[in-house]
Amino acid sequence: MEIQTRNEANTTVITITGRFDAVTAPDYEKKVQELIVGGDIRIVVDFAGLDYISSAGLRGLLVTAKLLKAKGGQVRFANVAGTVKEVFDISGFGTIFQMDATVAASLAAIA
Amino acid sequence: MPGKSSIVIKLVLVITLCSTLIFAVALGYNYYSSRSILEKELESNARNLSLSLVNRVETELSVVSRVTEGVARALETGRYSEKELHTLIRTTVEKNPEIFGSGVAFEPYAFSKTSRLYAPYYYRENGKIAFTRLDTSYLYVPYLLWDWYQSPRELGRLEWSEPYFDDGGGNLAMSTCSVPFYGETDGVRHLKGIVATDITLDSLTKLVSSVKILKTGYAALLSRNGMVLAHPLKDAVMNESFFSIAEARNDPSLRELGKKMVAGETGFIRYNSLVGVRSWMYYAPIRSTGWTLAVLFPEAELLENINRLSLIMGVIGFAGVLLLTAAVVYIARSITKPLRSLAEATHVMASGNFDLELPVVRSNDEVGVLAQDFQVMKESLKEYIKNLTETTAAKERIQSELQVAADIQASLLPRQFPAFPERSEFDIFASMDPAKEIGGDFYDFFFIDDDNFCFLIADVAGKGVPAALYMMVAKTLLKSEAQRLGEPDQILAYVNKTLAIDNDSCMFATVFCAILEISTGTVRFANAGHNPPLVMDSQGVRYLALKSGFVLGPMADTVYETERLIMQPGDTLFLYTDGVTEATNLTDDLFGEPKLLNALQDGPRQESDQMIHAIRDEVTRHANGAPQSDDVTMVAITYRGTVV
Repeated sequence: MEIQTRNEANTTVITITGRFDAVTAPDYEKKVQELIVGGDIRIVVDFAGLDYISSAGLRGLLVTAKLLKAKGGQVRFANVAGTVKEVFDISGFGTIFQMDATVAASLAAIA
Repeated sequence: MPGKSSIVIKLVLVITLCSTLIFAVALGYNYYSSRSILEKELESNARNLSLSLVNRVETELSVVSRVTEGVARALETGRYSEKELHTLIRTTVEKNPEIFGSGVAFEPYAFSKTSRLYAPYYYRENGKIAFTRLDTSYLYVPYLLWDWYQSPRELGRLEWSEPYFDDGGGNLAMSTCSVPFYGETDGVRHLKGIVATDITLDSLTKLVSSVKILKTGYAALLSRNGMVLAHPLKDAVMNESFFSIAEARNDPSLRELGKKMVAGETGFIRYNSLVGVRSWMYYAPIRSTGWTLAVLFPEAELLENINRLSLIMGVIGFAGVLLLTAAVVYIARSITKPLRSLAEATHVMASGNFDLELPVVRSNDEVGVLAQDFQVMKESLKEYIKNLTETTAAKERIQSELQVAADIQASLLPRQFPAFPERSEFDIFASMDPAKEIGGDFYDFFFIDDDNFCFLIADVAGKGVPAALYMMVAKTLLKSEAQRLGEPDQILAYVNKTLAIDNDSCMFATVFCAILEISTGTVRFANAGHNPPLVMDSQGVRYLALKSGFVLGPMADTVYETERLIMQPGDTLFLYTDGVTEATNLTDDLFGEPKLLNALQDGPRQESDQMIHAIRDEVTRHANGAPQSDDVTMVAITYRGTVV
């Protein structure tokens, strides 16, 4: 999995591509922790390039969401689609995370 | 031990062969070039020697010529009485030791009107001067007909005769120098006679053989006709000519050589001597007589020095090569000795003995460096193997403990089938194939009461020890709460609340929990984020429509909902984890839901154990040897209906 970050409208946009599983989840967690330590607590995660998410990936999302919540920050997911969306639906994650159709919509919602 | 290809043997072979070759080439070239230099020098030496010999012969002969000429001129200018004539001749012989004999032969009636022939002749005999008259001593042929008389008479000048055996004069092999003298009568010049002076060939032979040529070399004298005049082989003298020898040897080149000599040419050639010795021959003419002087140098003696030089060089070279070989052997051995002992030591080390002491090499050369590096390598290897052994032991211990854990985990799941042989209303079968690592899948089934049968399937996020521990807690909680609460939504909610306490690491499990009311076939179920099970009924195979619900663990206040399904006798519920659909083959293709649906559709449907085995076989076939990455867990329950 590749993780790229950029700043847009006072918000950090994280783009993840490839597979989000037990192997790559620690990288994601580490990255988000760094952002939080650096004071970036408004985060949008762009799922457009993500092919697969495993239960370990879901756990990674939970861990980072919990950390953000403790710091008073928020996270929104954009472009969750395909098999990733199915996993979100089946596991009930779709009901606890805020998801938008596009990055722009997430940015607008978070502002 | 090193064999025939050892460094020592290779070095010795290469160096010895090379140096022998170089030496042989140098020696050969040296021999060839010094021989050609020597041959040139030899030719000039031979020429000088031969010419000086020619000179000596010429000098000797010219003395005789001059004396003879002198006598002739004296006879022309003065009038000599018989007595005075005798004195002149006698004195001539006496004063000239090289002359054997001398005489004056007159034309018929030239000396006296009374006697026709007159030829007084003085010669040496036993150290004294003897006298005879040639006009009387020649018994059969008068002197007028002899060559020595005829030739100068006809040619009118000094003439040396071909050597002949003088029967009347000296009774010896000799050659005669003849000079005509003249008188004048009435202004007309006419021949009066011939002054003849003899020399013996003996004296010439002595002169010629007095010159020492190498050890066995010699000079020979040949007449105008190629007759042998002087030669160490006495038998050949006056008996053989160059041409008769050529005839006897049947050698045309020899005849050609003879012609060249007779023609007065000079040359230096290779020649096999009369006694068969390979020689070099220099030949040159003696002008005054038209004879040829030939000097023979035996080749073996000519080349003696160079041969000896070559022999010495050869001996030195051979000794040098031997010395070199010995030196090479010594150096190669001293180099390879530590190498050999190193090789032996490494041989022992190769069998795993790292405690072996390596041989000490004190030299500072490459071998020394190699030995030092080897020592370091040995220590590093020893250390590495020690560490590796320890690590491996530790890892093996953990591995075996994990294996024990996995066994315990598996033993916690109900594995006795048929599970309830006394209950004919339903039939249940389940299987869990753990992946290599200890995992987090589990299933469970049990009676809550006589009519309510609970069955569930769950998947804990992640793998390894944390997942296994979480699975243990979840399974225990689920069973105890199910028996206490009896409704799926309440079971899940309560267990979720318990798991969520202090769950900082956000561990979670997906669970499908259902309760079958046996008497009616009604299934009450609730889902905590697990993938929906499949329903197999008279209409076919389809996914059970359900509300997802959030996974168990992360959030304490999650609410679940109980839904219902009525099973008809013969209907089956198939529960599974994503280990089934996400099983991959070597090219990472997923087994997938369509394949699962097809397999269920086409497979055996009556017996749940056969159904699960069939799906397991399909998954294994799909993986085609690829390692199993996740636990593969399935539960199948078939409702048979109540017995009427």
